[in-house]
Amino acid sequence: MITTSLLNLLHDFGSISLFFKKVFLTLLRTRGNLIPILNQIASISIRSLPTVAFAGVFVGAILVLQFNLILSAYDAQVFLGGLNTSAVVREVGPLIISFLLAGKIGAYTAAELGTMRVTEQIDAIECLGTDPIQYLVVPRMAGIVVSSAILLMLGLLISIAGSMAVAATACGVNPWEFTASIPQFTSISTVVSGMIKSMVYGIIVAGVACHQGYTATGGARGVGRAVTMAAIYTNFYIVIANYFTSGFLEFAEHWIQILGAQAGLGLGKAL
Amino acid sequence: MSEWIECPIPVHEKLLKRIGAPVYEQVCTTYEGFVLFFRLLQLLPQINTWRWREIWKAIAQIGVGSIPIICVSTAFAGLVITQEIAWHMDKALHTVSMIPGFTAQFILRELGIAIPALLLVSKVGAATTAEVGSMKITEQIDALRLLKIDPIRYLAFPKFLAAMISGACLTLIATAVTLGCALSVAVLRFNFSVLEYLNALRHFIGPKDLICALVKGTLYGGVIPVISCAYGFRCKGGAEGVGNATTHSVVASTVVVILLDFLLTYIFTWVL
Repeated sequence: MITTSLLNLLHDFGSISLFFKKVFLTLLRTRGNLIPILNQIASISIRSLPTVAFAGVFVGAILVLQFNLILSAYDAQVFLGGLNTSAVVREVGPLIISFLLAGKIGAYTAAELGTMRVTEQIDAIECLGTDPIQYLVVPRMAGIVVSSAILLMLGLLISIAGSMAVAATACGVNPWEFTASIPQFTSISTVVSGMIKSMVYGIIVAGVACHQGYTATGGARGVGRAVTMAAIYTNFYIVIANYFTSGFLEFAEHWIQILGAQAGLGLGKAL
Repeated sequence: MSEWIECPIPVHEKLLKRIGAPVYEQVCTTYEGFVLFFRLLQLLPQINTWRWREIWKAIAQIGVGSIPIICVSTAFAGLVITQEIAWHMDKALHTVSMIPGFTAQFILRELGIAIPALLLVSKVGAATTAEVGSMKITEQIDALRLLKIDPIRYLAFPKFLAAMISGACLTLIATAVTLGCALSVAVLRFNFSVLEYLNALRHFIGPKDLICALVKGTLYGGVIPVISCAYGFRCKGGAEGVGNATTHSVVASTVVVILLDFLLTYIFTWVL
């Protein structure tokens, strides 16, 4: 039983990768994709913004309360702002936002494409000589990836504002103290690594959801199964990808620092 | 007759309708969710009417079925959290000796509970809404009513009870797995010995953290089927309606779990 489920998992992973490759090549080889992609970005971002904002405030608030509990045991509340911001930007923000996107946009896309597939609208598009991957899948996938980064930025800002408010009201750390320790933990590279993470998660959400919808079979029940599978697999893959992106980014940051130091030395010698 | 329908609607009324319709829908669903929740609470003490076979089946489906996915995901979360906390500790206090306590407290209070809950939302919530919603649109629920069977008692209650029980159990399993993985990273990468790690844990976590985790896990488990059944019962308009209801229910459950998490964290901060 375990071997079968493992094989199924590997099979799914492989077919998602192949599907993703096909979509990516279509995106590179065809023209006129920009306007549909921009339309998708607008619709996805606007639809998800209220949810992301709401969740962002509360996630920031939860983290402030937890960190305050730990830090106040050591009288180290000066680090509250820095720790909270760094945790939100590096880890929790991308994770929570992509969980929400998986539920909101991923499931919606899977349902939309799945309904089109089982009602043979995709076959009709193919019959009319249009490439359904270019017409339907490319704008959605690119839209999800780009808007996950946009939503991350907005979500982070709202979340930090929310944590500041909670820190001031519940933990007795005023906004000045809160912001003072932020530069100690976060820099441009932290924000960039958060962005990279959320793009990776966006690719996962987009790939899994579009693949599940595009390959749905078996009528209305099949669409339901595609939606459920999209929701489960996305979250599962995101948590696993979290580990690998964290490791990779840590590694990359380390080497960039070393290379930057060497470049600085070289520049110093040259001068 | 048709002239009356086709009369043009003024722009401001269209706008009002566009804003008002989703709000109205949301308010109705919230109201029905609360009604459903109180009905389920009423059914809770009537032990002799519990349908044990359905409850066991639901526990097998919700709880046992989710064990593999939750174990794998939380294992990876445990690996990440140790590295992250070590990085932060190193920056703030210039020492990594506090890793065990901080990690364990964070896992028991937040991480080991929130990640399984969010995974349960997408696994159980989506499946429940799809199931109840397709029963609704194929009029099976109306058929149940016709046979004088209460659909809440028949469909929702076993799932509610099973999800509460399996929420608590899955939280315990997930916390144990996460803590185990955190321990292994601390031992392999940061040169703690196992005994040292376990000894340090005793100063930071106690029974009250476990109680907090269990209460949170039970409540998140209970909230998921209530929301997904409420969306499923309101589902209308064919297969597309089921897809819509599933999407909305997953989002609503995620948001409610996060909101509840905030409230419970706030309460536990002051109570415990």
